[in-house]
Amino acid sequence: MSTLEVKDLHVSIDGKNILKGVNLKMQTGEIHAIMGPNGTGKSTLSEAIMGHPAYKVTKGEVLLNGENILELPVDERARAGLFLAMQYPAEIPGVTNAEFIRGAINARLPEDKPLSVRNFLKRLDKTMGVLDMTDEMADRYLNEGFSGGEKKRNEILQLMMIKPKFAILDEIDSGLDIDALKVVSRGVNQMRGPEFGSLIITHYQRLLNYIVPDVVHVMMGGRIVKQGGPELAKRLEDEGYAGLRDELGLDIKLVDEEA
Amino acid sequence: MTVDLKKYPTIAAYAEKTAEPAWFTELRTKSLEKAASLALPSFEKIRYQRWPIQLKQPLERKNSSKELIEEIKPEQTENMVVQLGQDTLELKVSNELRSQGVIVCDWHTALQEHSDLVKKYFMQKAVKINEDLLTAQHVAHLTSGLFIYIPKNVVLKKALTSYFVQDATAKNDYVHHVIIVAGENSEFSYLENLKTVGEQATTANIIVEVIAQENSHVKFASVDRLGAKTTTYLNRRGYLEKNAKIDWSMGMMNDGNIVGDFDSDLVGAGSHSEVKIVAISTGKQIQGIDTRVTNIGKHTIGHILQHGVILSRSSLVFNGIGHILKGAKGADAQQESRVLMLSNKAKGDANPILLIDDNDVTAGHAASIGRVNQEQLYYLMSRGLPKKMAERLVIIGFLGPVLAAIPSKLIREQLKITIERKLIDGQKDE
Ligand SMILES: Nc1ncnc2c1ncn2[C@@H]1O[C@H](COP(=O)(O)OP(=O)(O)OP(=O)(O)O)[C@@H](O)[C@H]1O
Ligand SMILES: [Mg+2]
Repeated sequence: MSTLEVKDLHVSIDGKNILKGVNLKMQTGEIHAIMGPNGTGKSTLSEAIMGHPAYKVTKGEVLLNGENILELPVDERARAGLFLAMQYPAEIPGVTNAEFIRGAINARLPEDKPLSVRNFLKRLDKTMGVLDMTDEMADRYLNEGFSGGEKKRNEILQLMMIKPKFAILDEIDSGLDIDALKVVSRGVNQMRGPEFGSLIITHYQRLLNYIVPDVVHVMMGGRIVKQGGPELAKRLEDEGYAGLRDELGLDIKLVDEEA
Repeated sequence: MTVDLKKYPTIAAYAEKTAEPAWFTELRTKSLEKAASLALPSFEKIRYQRWPIQLKQPLERKNSSKELIEEIKPEQTENMVVQLGQDTLELKVSNELRSQGVIVCDWHTALQEHSDLVKKYFMQKAVKINEDLLTAQHVAHLTSGLFIYIPKNVVLKKALTSYFVQDATAKNDYVHHVIIVAGENSEFSYLENLKTVGEQATTANIIVEVIAQENSHVKFASVDRLGAKTTTYLNRRGYLEKNAKIDWSMGMMNDGNIVGDFDSDLVGAGSHSEVKIVAISTGKQIQGIDTRVTNIGKHTIGHILQHGVILSRSSLVFNGIGHILKGAKGADAQQESRVLMLSNKAKGDANPILLIDDNDVTAGHAASIGRVNQEQLYYLMSRGLPKKMAERLVIIGFLGPVLAAIPSKLIREQLKITIERKLIDGQKDE
């Protein structure tokens, strides 16, 4: 079993404070969801955990199995077991999807014992099958010209091939049609088990019908303001964020609110 | 007419030792005399004039020790030539080639056995002897090379591969000449590998002439990996007659300072040159690449596509010159030059030059100088790839459009391997 703990995390970007003390603890075997209004810092939290250079941690810690990882470069965090399915994955022309994924897997293996091409292709083929992806996607350049939905599927493909300990999925459901939503959920559910934990950022309760979370966190104004079970997501779906905010007596302006 | 050889005892001695034809020896002495009044060629934004690029050593026949080739391990193919310094170690040509009258021979043999052909083509059509100081010095100091002659209507499916290994175990200039004559309607593929053994500071002066006669098609590819202490002038030029085509694919993976002058003269109507260049500069080296296509005949096509990557403190300049002469109606000149810089200390330039003297033509250019995209690096690293490997992937991706456009799969694969190796070596300096 592994643990991931975020302690009093403060993060700023371009000098602007976005996260103002986030606390969160999870372990493998669990699925956590984060919901929260636009611009509240959900992606900031995930990028800061992964180690995007633009996000500056000004205070706090991120502990993986009790070790602070904030000093580690991005690639070492990844090899330590973290994975981030990004809200906006980059496009890399000239590098094929398959070549990239194989490189990522081999980066975790001893240099003299890489995964053989044949075994890799076998696994890739099978996993792409689970995600209803066509073979052709393996030979295309990484995310280049992929539709929004294809990019999301491709993030899950990487997740399933790399098998991290903890995966943060940032709006993996946005831009997915109904069938694709089921397919992607199937992929994530297949990963579920005692050695895998996931933090799922979403705006829509619907995803959580397919991937049922153990814990739901609500984030507002750069903090986690409430935690609960799956029913909390249903309540938000019905009532929106304003009700919860007023109930908690928070002084936060929501993006869509009239001044 | 005759030159007094007594004035040139070293040339006379060399001529006697190698028994080269008198006409060639005469060219040498004339060039030497002419050189005094010639200047170094100038290339936009490439300042190489103070490099040790001029040839100063006396003409001398030297042998190299054969074991040196073991460092290189040339890959065996059906048609191949291996030269080390001035020596030819291996020359293997299939019966298919021989029986069709194809000539492949080293420079000495060419002068001995095909003197008339050499005389007809050597620096007559493509490069001219007295073009500048470097071409004149080239003739005076030339000591090795290869002569290839493909007769009319001969279509060769299998490529010829050459390994030209510069011997820098001693301070010897390397002066090398290749002539490829592709007769009417012939087809020929050629892969050239330039390498260096040894670590002495040396000067290389290399000229390659491709004479593509009517309706012929030459695929010329090269993987250039000259050593860090070799200062090189490398001139490759095509002379294209009616409806001839040359596909140039060049990988500039040298480790030392180099001026590359790559030109195509589209003389005959409907002739076509495609130039693809990938270049990587590392360490502190400077690579200046001046690629020119001149549209002379009607309906000629000249395309230049060159992408380069600059690491550490190195420099890379790409000039792309599309010159359409008056009367070249219906000509097309297109070019794209891009450089990618990986460090703040890298210096690079992509310099498009279009000179158009006729109205009835199409022409276009694209050029860019960029830095490596941090979001791409972050994305790759977030999947566990170490930074340097992520950089290499982004670089290979950047070079991808040029690699993809190279006609031969074999060359593409070979280039990819060389690129990878050059990058891994280059990243050690960072
Ligand atoms: N590169 C940046 N430069 C400036 N501000 C930024 C940058 N990235 C994020 N921000 C700001 O930080 C705040 C939090 O953004 P973040 O992307 O974390 O929100 P989010 O909760 O993920 O929103 P959404 O639900 O819309 O994805 C926003 O106000 C955003 O404008
Ligand atoms: Mg977001």
